[in-house]
Amino acid sequence: MIYYLPTIYSDQRGYECLAELAKATAQLRADRLELDFSQVGFFDANMAAPLGGVLARAANRLNVVEVVNVPELIERVLRKNGFLTHYRYPEWDGPSRTTLPFLRLQRSDEGLFEEYLQRHLRGKGIPKMSEGLGRVFKAKIYEVFQNAVIHSQSKLGIFVCGQFFPQKQRLDLTISDAGIGIRENVRRFLKVKISSVGAIRWALQEGHTTKKGKQPGGLGLKFLHDFVRLNKGRIQIASRFGFYEFHGNKESYAKMATDYPGTAVTIEVNTADTSAYRLASEISHEDIF
Amino acid sequence: MSKPVIVRVFDVVGGPVCVSAEDGQRVHEKIAPLLREGQNVVVSFEQVETLISLFLNAAIGQLYGEFTEARIRKLLAVRDLSAEDVEVLKRVVKNAKAYFKSPKKFDKAWKEEVGDEE
Repeated sequence: MIYYLPTIYSDQRGYECLAELAKATAQLRADRLELDFSQVGFFDANMAAPLGGVLARAANRLNVVEVVNVPELIERVLRKNGFLTHYRYPEWDGPSRTTLPFLRLQRSDEGLFEEYLQRHLRGKGIPKMSEGLGRVFKAKIYEVFQNAVIHSQSKLGIFVCGQFFPQKQRLDLTISDAGIGIRENVRRFLKVKISSVGAIRWALQEGHTTKKGKQPGGLGLKFLHDFVRLNKGRIQIASRFGFYEFHGNKESYAKMATDYPGTAVTIEVNTADTSAYRLASEISHEDIF
Repeated sequence: MSKPVIVRVFDVVGGPVCVSAEDGQRVHEKIAPLLREGQNVVVSFEQVETLISLFLNAAIGQLYGEFTEARIRKLLAVRDLSAEDVEVLKRVVKNAKAYFKSPKKFDKAWKEEVGDEE
């Protein structure tokens, strides 16, 4: 089949478009998917991560996936970040200092992920980010990554991609999976058919976790939220029919028109930020327990 | 008071990246037997570069499932944590106390039924 992808921004509509692609190709087996980019006017580089997840589902059903007619400027971005090399395009051999490359990894590849962050978050690639901010940001990225590892049940792995915007002093990073979605986890835990939006809302509450056993949990997303609020950054979560965004102290939940198969979390960090990430009231080492 | 035993997280994990529940569990398995014996323990985070709540929930949070707050306060100390990480640990501890005090009750506010197509 030939599928014409529309313009994809990193927003609710962008995820709905990817969900529509997933729906349109859901029955395709041992066939050919030609993803035609000729109608794509713009493609936010970080959205290569969720697109990679949707295409991995199609490829997993033994379909040959080809990406064709990519406009020159978009091809440049998607070759720079390595996405198109997964679809037989030549590697980019010029400079690509502003990209956080597309990476597909298995849930057990924690070491590879560390290597990726070491290489692409530090140093000249992200010159504006202070060491302190970089360290805290890295920890929050891990909170998201581990959520995907523990909860997604994504057999096709985890997909990562980002982009640094030097002029705007912003860095976007998306971690997505091709798993069961937040909704499914919360449904199994609460034993209630909660909606996707309701499940995201539930998961964002401090102390809420679907983990069972002796280890407490439910702080990762809360920490991420607090970090982004202080940093004046942005979070987007797309999971099944649910979309959540937090930006500029405003949060919004929306129901998406189509079922996005998995979960994607985007963190946008304000790299010009020099704040210290702790509470105004200092906690001493003696005052913890 | 006995001389405290130092548990060096970097050594137990084998590196500066403390981000998994499995690694946290390994640290927990060093700390818990010592607390059972009434031994003073100092957990050192020297050389640790990346630390997240998932790791701390396993390493320290779950101690509250076995030991009283008073016992933990008496026997356990931490050092070499950055100010940001102290705050993370403090919230992990607060959350753990709440978690073990009252296992989550089902909240009726979440009781909504929808179909798979929502």
